[in-house]
Amino acid sequence: MMMRPLFVLLLTVLVIGCRKDKPEPPDGTPVEVGQRGVYITNEGNFQWGNASVSYFDPATGAATEDLYQPANSEALGDVLQQMVLHEGRGYLVLNNSGKVVVVDPHTFTRLATITGFPSPRALLPVSTTKAYVSDLSAGRLSVVDLVSNSMTGSIPCGQWTEAMVRIGDEAFVTDQSRPYVYVIDIATDQLVDSIAVARGGNSVVVDADGLLWVACGGGSGTSPALHRIDPDSHTVQATFPFASGSDSPWRLTANGDATMLHFLNEHVYRMPITATHLPTSAFIAANGRNFYGLGVDPNDGTVYVADAIDYVQRGVVLRHAADGSFIGSFHAGRIPGGFVFR
Amino acid sequence: MHEVRAPRLVGTTAGGKLELVDSATYARYSTSDLASLLANESPVFIKSYGLGGLATSSFRGGASQHTAVLWNGFNIQSPMVGQTDLSLIPLVAASEVRIQYGGGTALWGSGAVGGSILLNNKAQYDEGLAVDAGARVGSFGEMREQLRIDFGDARWSLSVAAFHQAARNDFAYEVNDERRQQRNSQLEQRGVITQVHRRIGAHQQVHFVHWYQLSDRRIPATLHEAMSEARQEDESQRFTGGWQYNTVKMDVHVRGAWFDEALWWHPTDVIADRSRARTAIAEVELRWRSARGHAIGFGANSTQATAVSTGYTDEPRQGRNALFASYGYQHPSERWITSASIRQERMDARWMPVTATVGAEHVLLPGWRVKGSASRVYRVPTFNDLYWVPGGDRQLLPEQGYAAEAGAVGEERVGCVRLEGEGTVFTRTIDDWILWSPGPAYWSPMNLMRVWSRGVEARVTAKWTGGRTRYAATLRTNHVVSTNQQARTPDDASVDRQLIYVPMYSGQLRVGMERGRASASLAGTYTGYRYTSTDNRSYLAPFTLWNARFTYVLKVGERGDLLLDLRGDNLLAANYQVIADRPMPGRAYRAGITYRFKQRRTVP
Repeated sequence: MMMRPLFVLLLTVLVIGCRKDKPEPPDGTPVEVGQRGVYITNEGNFQWGNASVSYFDPATGAATEDLYQPANSEALGDVLQQMVLHEGRGYLVLNNSGKVVVVDPHTFTRLATITGFPSPRALLPVSTTKAYVSDLSAGRLSVVDLVSNSMTGSIPCGQWTEAMVRIGDEAFVTDQSRPYVYVIDIATDQLVDSIAVARGGNSVVVDADGLLWVACGGGSGTSPALHRIDPDSHTVQATFPFASGSDSPWRLTANGDATMLHFLNEHVYRMPITATHLPTSAFIAANGRNFYGLGVDPNDGTVYVADAIDYVQRGVVLRHAADGSFIGSFHAGRIPGGFVFR
Repeated sequence: MHEVRAPRLVGTTAGGKLELVDSATYARYSTSDLASLLANESPVFIKSYGLGGLATSSFRGGASQHTAVLWNGFNIQSPMVGQTDLSLIPLVAASEVRIQYGGGTALWGSGAVGGSILLNNKAQYDEGLAVDAGARVGSFGEMREQLRIDFGDARWSLSVAAFHQAARNDFAYEVNDERRQQRNSQLEQRGVITQVHRRIGAHQQVHFVHWYQLSDRRIPATLHEAMSEARQEDESQRFTGGWQYNTVKMDVHVRGAWFDEALWWHPTDVIADRSRARTAIAEVELRWRSARGHAIGFGANSTQATAVSTGYTDEPRQGRNALFASYGYQHPSERWITSASIRQERMDARWMPVTATVGAEHVLLPGWRVKGSASRVYRVPTFNDLYWVPGGDRQLLPEQGYAAEAGAVGEERVGCVRLEGEGTVFTRTIDDWILWSPGPAYWSPMNLMRVWSRGVEARVTAKWTGGRTRYAATLRTNHVVSTNQQARTPDDASVDRQLIYVPMYSGQLRVGMERGRASASLAGTYTGYRYTSTDNRSYLAPFTLWNARFTYVLKVGERGDLLLDLRGDNLLAANYQVIADRPMPGRAYRAGITYRFKQRRTVP
């Protein structure tokens, strides 16, 4: 049988060529979180249904990649846009699932699901029992009753409503596709004013002086810019335009006493609220990393920067002290985008 | 499937792996599409986005843009996205399918990197009149009607085929113990394929083929999407024609093609986003053969493409001109065959890499051949890579690399069992692999990855006869390791990890039996882990699908047959996903009836 050497050769090649394909199973033990820590919202990939929430305990340095799946034995949903803590509950806004999932922030078990949103972006509690939900495509804000966990009404407003903040009796709402910040009267649920800004309003923060800051990505002939708005008179007090149309300021946030603004524009920048011009050098340089999320711990000023890497693997969160020095890093879920401190 | 050395390809493809889909296999899929044929009968992994949905390929660990689909020798990969939706390629559009493994860039140009699927419309002279009319019904509201009429005499070969298919695809599936029904999933497809071949004198032939197709399908929501009302329409007109002159010593081919492919995307019923690509191709090829076994060929190809899309600011045009040459030698003893081909292409004002393939085959033992080949491969950036606003980059480099393979193929008779086998090992590296990545304001494509793909493919077929029953069993096993070799960011954990959606292991087993007018087969297809993260921490579980089929032929008159066909798919109702969050159907049945008439006129 002359054919044998060939078969032996073939078999040898087959055996040598083999490589283990079975992956390590994910850690599926539910985790109860402590009193003080950081939730990291991970968007997940559009249409892959792999959104998740990670948790980091700064005291122990322990990171949990996902709280939701182990606690509920189900996937959270598609594209987690935001998490809000309110009245002892966690609200998770899932954009492409068109829903808001209500969880117990300690055990992360699901308490309720609010549905009916076309493409929700953010939730803003405006009283103990009422919240607004912005939307990418609806052209309105949804009004949600937080007791019955249901949508009770809507406020026609803008086109792609995005970030929201409450100041006194009014809510301020940015629009990604129109150059306005909308003002809503919380008592009447009515649109009462609109403030002209650059296009692409994506994030807002209220500073120590009670003034509203808006980051706009620009577009359609408007430059990317930061705006400072007087919330009482509904007027723009100052505009800080970016030099180039390829600049893209976003993820605007502030430190604990709201005296220092932080935002992403490829790198991390920071800027005192009293500044008269935009910062010229980066606070934390990206150095080839794909910065996608930014948060500042209000307790100690630690800066958390999320690196989404290639968007198709778990991200990394880098921690820097308030003086910019690197502290350490930990792994989060897929496409980490937001931080919630408690 | 048979391992073949096609006459047209001899002299250019010695040493490479080439399979002809045999007539029995082809008949099994004659009312189906290329995606199902490749998924069940080849090592090519089909990324199916759901029943009737987009189906793209990974050939030997490559991307979907690395599988060339050639219809009568012309590449029908979309110039806009560089890939082919194999669910839109019905087998009725061709009369023969060949699978050419490995790098074929030197033969077919850009894109033939992982492998090439060759669809050909053959002339059927002297066959008289043949009619093939069939209909079938299936689970989830599937209906299909198909009619094919062929006529061939000494001078003419004429054929027209038409089909229509509709399905609701509203199968039920389970998620988190909740039973759901697929919605917004209906599809409708229709097409007409007309071909004319005409002999002129003893040495000349002209031919013309036209393929029109319209597909209209709804795109269902993924598992965690709130809802979907999306709809996609694809309409294509494809023409090819040519003249050829053949003698014992020489072949001359002058051929051309015109493709017009439009796509309407409706995210909702009131929005229509249209894109359209048009391609014109002309090709000339000359070949000489000497009596001593030498063959030499030259050719030139000119491909002009243009596209319209809301993503492009203008109407980009692309001109690609190529010169190619080949040499082949067959030793008079027929124990040695060698070949070499070379191709140089110029895209607009840029020279593309010179590509070449060399290969050799040797009859080592009676019935056993060993072979090997090596080639340089490349793929040019797509229209979207180059012109998309924002992000497209006109300075992108072509992906390029090297591929090599070695294998053995042979037959043995062990007792009353005839054994056929083939084993191949391959390796391929690609540099400047194009990947869309985020920038400060928008995503853009970059020449980012270096990918090394390697693997082993094995096939064994056994055929035997017991009493009046003929049996055949085929086992295929495939092992593909395809890894990124280059870190893209400081914390990139994808280095030396398997590319997403490339199964490391897959295999197929088919057992068939035939007795008199009845035949039955049972086939299982195993697909191993597919990773859904580049660090290989997330994955989809392996699955095995079992399909069975029973066919009975009734004689109708002297020249007619009535075929009754019953089929069950996913018999064990495996709950699986090919692409994450896209549910797939459970058990499904189909019943079909086909009338075949063949005049089978004798050659005068």
